[in-house]
Amino acid sequence: MNQLNLHEGKAEYLRDFPYIIELVKLKIQNIQLNSFTVKTNEGIRIGLITEGKFDWVIAGQGYTLFPGDTFLIYPWQEIGSPKGVLDIGALCWVSLSPELFDPSGLLQFGAWSSIPESEQRVIGKILAMNKNPVLSRFGAGPQILQRIEHEILQQEIGYRTRINHLLDELLISLVRHLSKAENFRRDFPQIFSKLEQSLRENLAHPWTVEEMAGLVGLGTTAFTEKVKAFTGFSPLHYLINLRIAEAIKLLRQTKMSLTDIAFDTGFYSSQHFSSTFKKLTGYTPRAYRKTQ
Amino acid sequence: MDCILTIDINTSSVRIHAFDLTGEVLGMRKGSYPTFHPQADYSEQDPEQVFITTLYVLKNFINEVIQPQKYKVKALCFCAAMHSVLAVDKNGRPLGNAIIWADNRGIKEANILKKSAFRSPIYEATGTPIHPMSPLIKISWMRHQDPERFAQAFKFVSLKEYIVLQLTGEYLVDHSIASSTGLFDIHQLQWNAQALEFAGISPERLSAPVSIFFDEVPLKKEYSKSLGLSGSTKVILGSSDGCSATLGSGNIAADRATVTIASSGAVRVASKEILVDEKQRFFNYLLAEDYYISGGPTNNVGVVFDWYTQFFGSFNPGQEFDQVREELLREATQVPAGAKGLLFLPYLLGERAPIWNANARGVYFGLNITHEQKHLLRATIEGILFEMYSIGKLLTDHRSFSSISLTGSYSSIPLFAQILTDIFGLPFHVNTKVDSVALGTALIGLTGMKYFAGLEEASASTHFTETYTPNAQNHELYLRYFEVFESLSGKLEAEFEMIAGLQ
Repeated sequence: MNQLNLHEGKAEYLRDFPYIIELVKLKIQNIQLNSFTVKTNEGIRIGLITEGKFDWVIAGQGYTLFPGDTFLIYPWQEIGSPKGVLDIGALCWVSLSPELFDPSGLLQFGAWSSIPESEQRVIGKILAMNKNPVLSRFGAGPQILQRIEHEILQQEIGYRTRINHLLDELLISLVRHLSKAENFRRDFPQIFSKLEQSLRENLAHPWTVEEMAGLVGLGTTAFTEKVKAFTGFSPLHYLINLRIAEAIKLLRQTKMSLTDIAFDTGFYSSQHFSSTFKKLTGYTPRAYRKTQ
Repeated sequence: MDCILTIDINTSSVRIHAFDLTGEVLGMRKGSYPTFHPQADYSEQDPEQVFITTLYVLKNFINEVIQPQKYKVKALCFCAAMHSVLAVDKNGRPLGNAIIWADNRGIKEANILKKSAFRSPIYEATGTPIHPMSPLIKISWMRHQDPERFAQAFKFVSLKEYIVLQLTGEYLVDHSIASSTGLFDIHQLQWNAQALEFAGISPERLSAPVSIFFDEVPLKKEYSKSLGLSGSTKVILGSSDGCSATLGSGNIAADRATVTIASSGAVRVASKEILVDEKQRFFNYLLAEDYYISGGPTNNVGVVFDWYTQFFGSFNPGQEFDQVREELLREATQVPAGAKGLLFLPYLLGERAPIWNANARGVYFGLNITHEQKHLLRATIEGILFEMYSIGKLLTDHRSFSSISLTGSYSSIPLFAQILTDIFGLPFHVNTKVDSVALGTALIGLTGMKYFAGLEEASASTHFTETYTPNAQNHELYLRYFEVFESLSGKLEAEFEMIAGLQ
């Protein structure tokens, strides 16, 4: 029987990987009482069901997991079985502790990851926006987890680097799967309207094209082309459009200072705000407010 | 070279075209904006975003196309979707979002009016069917359901009026947009007292109605300067989308009807007289003084085919929506007319004309064990188009026409055009080169500037790029199917209400 249960601090194998909380592979043949009570998850847990059927509660909602399903649990979510036990079957998972991860999507994995910081931000956003902890058809998962296990147990030359790469690979594949699954069977106007909502909700955020494209599961080239064809604007020009429209509202309907309006609507300075506003409307923001 | 710019503020985007003074297209730019659905029945747009998008597209277009080509802009002529309404305060500031045509929040108010003695006089005077789409009903909704906003509102304006207000500083509404509000007397060309009473407002709370050719108010200096337009550029108010499309497809004097198939659709005819239907199933909108556009709108055209594509198309990973739709169209072309005896009532969004029943729902009828998915596909498309015919057929009770022009974004799909042609049994003309709404708007501007003697002459200047001719055998077959379709669509009223109650 092939079992593995490595925990940080306990397992020698994980000594070099403080950011891996645990790496677990279980085959359950006897039900043990209180083996899986509902409690807050530690880190980001990514796992797979390989045999059996599991009834769990994740973030307060009931799910039935079948072989082939992937589960993805965040540090602020609770997970467990309502009966408190792991049912008969087989499953595996890895839990990672990022340096920073919160429900708003702020995410830093730590120095081990070679994913650039700007992309970690995008990954954080996509993960945080995902509302579905149980994913089907995440084909890349089983193989990557198996290779991580193999590398950890064999400790061949270069295994630390390779494990870090495999973890990056796992996260990237997962996030691509999430953003694609989200938009499967949707036409671009529907996809864009969801993105638009995120932009509106976080207008002050310094959005990049990479981030926007990542959120809808497209490469930047294809994304830019599609946005241009659908909206008539490049992604960044569309964003300016949104920002100025919001700024006009704030100028007309509030007494907020121009600096506050500039920052609230995502301009990096009040000068940048003024010049963009004037270029488009012919008025400076101050003059525009006076005409009202 | 001199040119005219048309600005079409439609449901999903603003489209700006440049035309020369004979009506040839010189170029086009668009910019889209979203529709919000804060509740299931609600459809709203942000007036500031619509304005900024319009300004942005206009500015880019002028900078990138008009100025490099050294075109001189003689006029801007406007067009917009009907039925939007927005409350503004005395400084012209929007009080919330604009409520657009697709919004159904006023179902209750519409039913109150339908049951009142006002119903017939208001419909006959205003030409707008009593329906939640009309600003009359929306303002009445605001009066009862959002009294604070209602009381604060200095005026109620459409999105087009709001854009014109921003650009010129004046509250103006053209007769055509006014005629789609349910508040405007299309015979007397003034606000209708009974409708105003039902809405609970005085005429001062609406813009001043003027001709579609009205051009007496210039752009504000700041805008003409920032856009690089001369002070002599005229602002011509123009008309509404449906009326412009009818003009732009050449149907003002000809004995032709216009069928529009886009996300939603309509069948229209133009005439110097209104169309009187005792069951009140048709609209009568004003294109201009003495030109009426009459017909019926349907909710369920492209949106239903998109629904089918989304849920029944076979999506392989990485495959895009448009590709799947193309494949479905190819597959449907291979299925013989009639889908092997399968019929579809396309009422996924309830229906306006001809049954005017918000509770109506979709039905596949006649399924047997030999039907395959491709028959459902073909039946879906045919059902959508039978519904167009059911409006067209009713119109033939009142008007005769010997051919039809097809407009709208789905008009470029040959399968849709051919099935329509076969169902109607009449030749269909399509202009795939130019958007008929933009062309109609340009023709209004050019007529206003006296480049055409009148709208008939302007309309006669249009031409088509393709003509479809009916297949007699299919026509005969489709008429037999339509008999079942028509009978079925009229039979299910009680069941529609029951099932809608369960949803």
